[in-house]
Amino acid sequence: MPSISLTAPTVLSSSPHSLLPFLQSQSQTTLTRLYQRPSACLSIFRLLAPLQQQIVMNLLWLESAIASSTMAAWVVREGKKHYDTALSTLFRLHILSTSPIKLALNPTFKTSFRQALTGGGTTGSFGAPAPNDDKHPPMGIDGLDGYALERWETILHYMVSSGTGQNSMRPSKDVLYLLQRSGLMASPHGSLQITSAGFQFLLHSPHAQLWDLLLQYLRMAEERGMDLVEVLSFLFMLSTMELGREYSTEGMNGTQAAALTQKAMLNDLRDYGLLWQRKPSSRRFYPTRLATTLTSSSPPLPTSTGPSSGPKEGFIVLETNYRVYAYTDNPLQTAVLNLFVALKYRFPNLVVGSITRDSVKKALSNGISAEQIISYLMAHAHPQMRKNNPLLPVTVQDQIRLWELEKNRLKSQEGYLYTAFTSPADYELVLNYAKQLDVVLWENAAKRCFFGSLDGHANIKGFIERRTGGNA
Amino acid sequence: MDDDSKGSHLSVVLDLSPTHWELSSRDAPENTYPLTLATFLSQLLAFLNSHIACRHENTLAVFGAFPGKSIMLYSSSNAVLDSLSTDVNANSYPPFNIVDSTVVQRIMTELDSLEEHQEEAPTALVGALVKALCYVNRITLPTSSNSKTQSNGFHPGVLPDPRILILSVSPDLSTSYIPIMNAIFSAQKLKATIDVCQIYGPNTVFLQQAAHLTGGSYIFLERRDALLQYLIMSFLPPPSIRKTLSVPTQEQVDFRAACFCHKKIIDIGFVCSVCLSIFCQPLPVCTTCRTKFPMKTLQRLNAARPLLATGNSTRPSQSRMSTAGGPVTNNGVGGAPAAPHGGGQIANGNTNGARCVFHLG
Repeated sequence: MPSISLTAPTVLSSSPHSLLPFLQSQSQTTLTRLYQRPSACLSIFRLLAPLQQQIVMNLLWLESAIASSTMAAWVVREGKKHYDTALSTLFRLHILSTSPIKLALNPTFKTSFRQALTGGGTTGSFGAPAPNDDKHPPMGIDGLDGYALERWETILHYMVSSGTGQNSMRPSKDVLYLLQRSGLMASPHGSLQITSAGFQFLLHSPHAQLWDLLLQYLRMAEERGMDLVEVLSFLFMLSTMELGREYSTEGMNGTQAAALTQKAMLNDLRDYGLLWQRKPSSRRFYPTRLATTLTSSSPPLPTSTGPSSGPKEGFIVLETNYRVYAYTDNPLQTAVLNLFVALKYRFPNLVVGSITRDSVKKALSNGISAEQIISYLMAHAHPQMRKNNPLLPVTVQDQIRLWELEKNRLKSQEGYLYTAFTSPADYELVLNYAKQLDVVLWENAAKRCFFGSLDGHANIKGFIERRTGGNA
Repeated sequence: MDDDSKGSHLSVVLDLSPTHWELSSRDAPENTYPLTLATFLSQLLAFLNSHIACRHENTLAVFGAFPGKSIMLYSSSNAVLDSLSTDVNANSYPPFNIVDSTVVQRIMTELDSLEEHQEEAPTALVGALVKALCYVNRITLPTSSNSKTQSNGFHPGVLPDPRILILSVSPDLSTSYIPIMNAIFSAQKLKATIDVCQIYGPNTVFLQQAAHLTGGSYIFLERRDALLQYLIMSFLPPPSIRKTLSVPTQEQVDFRAACFCHKKIIDIGFVCSVCLSIFCQPLPVCTTCRTKFPMKTLQRLNAARPLLATGNSTRPSQSRMSTAGGPVTNNGVGGAPAAPHGGGQIANGNTNGARCVFHLG
């Protein structure tokens, strides 16, 4: 029986979640304030690796601290390293209180997380559902998905078409600013152009894209005078909400500043498609699937092939003769494919093209790597392709990698050439000194010269001057 | 391999025998640590919530074994439908709410509807276990590529490493030996792990074997006031984590089987060489497959019986032989009542050192 092998997306997800490094860089007070909300604790817990989760769980219901050695006794010998890394991450997140001999959870985290699991309390951190609205019919899940998809694809499509000169719908000003700040787009000649980071971004999974943008949003939040804790807890609250339920904005804001932050966030997140409001001034909102799946690894959008028919999982067929058949009518996907495929024909539901040396070279020069192309093809392979083992024809994979290597034949590096040493001893002396500094890029003893990198020049120059000064 | 990104499935089988829960809740001196059903349920719910908390994709099913019948109390795939109708508040995570209220409500309804005379009946633990296996089978079947995603857009996919956790309070029911063994073999085929926690009462032989043969862990709960901690430390980690954080397993497993004729748990038995049925005494005709055995063998075996009892058997007992052609056993320990034709093995996986099984014919 053929086994189902899931490839690209799962490989990526084995690395820690991109939010965790950001949280680790925050101060203990910020994190402790964040941990006061049960929903934030639950969401952060979900982002942890399974082993870290189990460690937290083991400690959660203990009233007193437990000796580290007792806990370590449960670890099998081969897993020791893995376990130590898990512990150190938890320390840096301040989920474990810092003490070398005893293990215990941060008391705030412990209280809130217990509350999250058992319910109760009065924090209201999971969002207040709005009372039934008689005036308007409730928004259906399909409608919400459609809205989220439309918003999200507008952003991506704008990015992908910015280089080609075609006009596509412009996202709002705030979104453009965010794209610019995150380095995904730049405006060297007045108009916004996609950067090489932006090209790479396009080939990521939707889930990774969403978090990339949100992380940038978080970094900007402080500049805009928003309280980071409020921003994070609002995001985490959204992620624990239920799809298809309407929530009220009332009752979740505490102070004046918090209320302002939340109002600004409602506006921003509406632009990204994370939530839906009937009117911008409305006091109620629906979270969309983009928001409710923030802490899961399932694809945030039910389908990215648009509302039309077609297979839901994948749409690309790649043949050994480098031909690509993409069953899609979605302009965004066509545009993304156009980044590295020379498109030939278009039919109502099918795009045909081929991977050529030129098309791949163009992608490489845009900053896209061969691995990214391959993983994109794998992630979006048609169900028919999934029967093949390996998924993509080996010839095509190898060729794409070879084309990338071709590009890397020459490497340039700036530096200084040292020549005209008077004696071999002088040469040896300076060369040894430069080697100690690890700045020698090339040497030739016969010609008595060597090439040092730029950073080493000041030192070498000083060394030679000291030498000649000392001799004189 | 991809455990990190995909959720895992947990089916919980609850033994809800009113009689034994009543015994379990009595105070000292009968119990050092009395545990009432209500306390048990509240700790269980915290455990179930912990499982759902770990991953958005984790799925859960809860089965109840009541006297004489077994019922599915909760499953994540059905819960989505009626979730919007339930009442939510701002202080709890909606999925937790749904699990908690559904499980408790249905247990209470079932227990209330029990009549006096039914309460004494043995619980349908095997029924619940088999239902759990059927459920696991359904969700582990790879969905065909053309199948539609569910209306909520969630594609169930294939969850790795399904697990079944049995929380038992009743002692062994020797009549259920054959169905339990069959359930174990099905679980092995499905690659499902069976974990067992014996909360009250003596160790159960059959459930020990179930845990051992499927690579699960069997825990006899000693400190019953620390139930939740036991549950979380031993039964929450999915198999991938158990490679790093070890969970307790049994040192000694009671491998005794029950005979097919009187349903007694036996130390020494006689196995039909054709169908591998186990009997407590030599029979001229196998009652299962109607094979006739030669008179001479019967006489010899009968003559040997006193010797066998003292353990001075003249035949070498072969230990740890797996049954060829029979159901696969992971670790080479097998007593295989359901084997179609084994060709005369001696099934003897014996850690207690007192039992040998001889075969007829």
